Amino acid sequence: MKIIATYNIKGGVGKTSTAVNLAYLAAQNHYKTLVWDLDPQGASSYYFRIKPKVKGGSKQLIAGERELDGLIKATDFENLDLLPADFSFRNLDLVLDTRKKPTQRLKKLLAPLTQEYDFIFLDCPPNISLLSEAIFETSEILLSPIIPTTLSLRTLEQLKKYLKDNKLKHLQLIPFFSMADRRKKMHCEIMATLSEQHQDILSSTIPYASDIERMGWERMPLAAYARKSRSTDAYQALWQEILQLIT
Amino acid sequence: MPTTPLYFVLPENLTAEKFLKKLSKKVNFYIDVQQHAIKTYYDSFDWRLYNADMVCELNQSKTSSQITLIDRVTGECLALEELQDVPPFSAQFRNGCFKTRLAERIEMRALLPLCALPHQVYRLNILNKDQKTVLRITLDEYEILANRISLHPLKGYDKAAANISHLLANDLELSPTNGTAALNAALQLQGRKPKDYSSKLAIKLDPAMRADKASIIIYKQLLAAIQINEAGTIADIDTEFLHDYRVAVRRTRAGLSQIKNTLPPKIVAKHANFFAWLGQITSTTRDLDVYLLSYQQYQAALPETLQADLAPLYEFLKKKQVIAQKELADILSGSKYRKQLLAWEQYLRDPAAVKAKGSDANVPIKELADQRIWKVFQRVLKEGSAISESSPAETLHDLRKTCKKLRYLMEFFQDMYPAKDMKVLLRALKGLQSVLGDFQDYEIQENNIKHFSAEMMEDNIASDTLLAMGVLIQYLDTMKCTARNDFAEQFSRFKQAQNQAQFKTLFNR
Repeated sequence: MKIIATYNIKGGVGKTSTAVNLAYLAAQNHYKTLVWDLDPQGASSYYFRIKPKVKGGSKQLIAGERELDGLIKATDFENLDLLPADFSFRNLDLVLDTRKKPTQRLKKLLAPLTQEYDFIFLDCPPNISLLSEAIFETSEILLSPIIPTTLSLRTLEQLKKYLKDNKLKHLQLIPFFSMADRRKKMHCEIMATLSEQHQDILSSTIPYASDIERMGWERMPLAAYARKSRSTDAYQALWQEILQLIT
Repeated sequence: MPTTPLYFVLPENLTAEKFLKKLSKKVNFYIDVQQHAIKTYYDSFDWRLYNADMVCELNQSKTSSQITLIDRVTGECLALEELQDVPPFSAQFRNGCFKTRLAERIEMRALLPLCALPHQVYRLNILNKDQKTVLRITLDEYEILANRISLHPLKGYDKAAANISHLLANDLELSPTNGTAALNAALQLQGRKPKDYSSKLAIKLDPAMRADKASIIIYKQLLAAIQINEAGTIADIDTEFLHDYRVAVRRTRAGLSQIKNTLPPKIVAKHANFFAWLGQITSTTRDLDVYLLSYQQYQAALPETLQADLAPLYEFLKKKQVIAQKELADILSGSKYRKQLLAWEQYLRDPAAVKAKGSDANVPIKELADQRIWKVFQRVLKEGSAISESSPAETLHDLRKTCKKLRYLMEFFQDMYPAKDMKVLLRALKGLQSVLGDFQDYEIQENNIKHFSAEMMEDNIASDTLLAMGVLIQYLDTMKCTARNDFAEQFSRFKQAQNQAQFKTLFNR
């Protein structure tokens, strides 16, 4: 079982689309897969048409009063389940802060599920907070989408420094380009420079494309409504490259 | 909370089309799949999956072919594999969950098709107001059976399953059933039912019945076991047909020699010869089967560097097995065998035609069973107690045979005694038999591997293979010695006062 967090300090970089689409591909490969929507906005819950509602909210969840297994919902796709978001997740930081060893909390909550699933995707809210620290402790892989802009270079470096300073050696950071627009000269130039400076950036790139944006309208993973498209192929290539690295 | 019924049967006049129309007035759904399919049920000949509360189904349609293992109590899918053709043995499946689950249940037995049901399958997805699937339903429209519905609840949507189940039962007035109802109904059409074969004996006897009549009942059941395993033995479907066939032959021989003086001596002598012959003609094939079944264990016993060198032995054994099996199949298809088996069957069906009786024919069977079991038990104690550390191997072999006789007698008559007490004593006896069996098996295997190496030398086998066989012989010898050393403890455990008192209470009051 592997826990993969899709994370970036910056918002709006395609974290949720990554979690939803890669989890879908994993499930299609017959891996038992779970997506945990930790973002109070509940975007991945929305994509799966599942109500962003958790009984007892973040307080009871973090207190361990409800087993996670009882909160899980099956999606419309074989082998793919979702732990929905809840609006109370906006306070997850505060709730975690009331616990002893707050950064160990998610790991403890997820422990009973490790037998049941091959992959657990954590769809994380942006920012570095107590919640993201707990996510770093829990995950084995930090999958970080980067939009090819100068600002992204800064956040990637910030993240690397943070992981190094906090000695999070167990965590494998996997950055890749997301929402890349080949028509923009700047995107192409930044991708070339960044790939040279950061050899760990994957060669697969997710394009900026209207069919990906349509996920919000279709309310399902991309490959479920666009079986053959450049974007679907891009996610497939990304997943294969990640699988090679982590299995 | 009562469990939600997940399976329903449609009334005969309710076609799939009519049902879907009725359902569409009540709930929002769409038909995800509609196609012609064939459902084939599989199990081993002795129902190992069914006995473990599992059902194995192959579902084939134009677009997919899937084999699934299903928990027949909860309906949960335990393992699934996509494949076109079902291989007979678990070892031939792709590595994965299906193979593992299957292998731990059916072991060396072949997976055989039980019955095939052509049907039209409809897969429905029940939607909520967000157009999210909250329940899946399969509707199977059969050509030869009543149509059936199964609900497949989705995690986190139990309420939807309960609501639809309630709707089907109450508003649409469907009858709840269980997950194996279709299998049972299909088997019924063939005049069969689940678990209609078991190698275990379960003979119902009236304790007051005349001994000769009771013994006929026992022999008839053993004859049925011989006959039912005959075709599978000839066709060599798997090794256990011959194994069960031989057990039934051995039990018959034990009956003829141990349920004494019930049938006329002439009859006994005539047929005992026939069953001794059957024991003899089946032994070579069975021995080779055992070597082939043990091959993995043999290989694992060798150092890793020698394991691959043992392969020629497997080929050699396999070749020999094919020849022996062919010879056996010829004999079992031949007239000499058929005539003698028929003569035995005719005698059992009409024993009254032969007026002669054994001297104890009129004794109540319970009395005779008490006498015989007690006597053979005494013999086991006597023979076992005489064995010391220096006793020759033959003494253990003789004791093994006596134990087998005791075991068969206890099994023939176990229905007449308290089940709990019999279970305890049989378990104690099995412990002793196991160590005696190991001792003999390892000794024979050790000797035979030696003979085989001599034969294989003539074929110029590689020196490393000979070396590997040498190490194997060493291993078998060690195992034999371990069994020999375990004997004293196992025997003292068997003859402990508590067991002796129990035997006395049951058989010699």
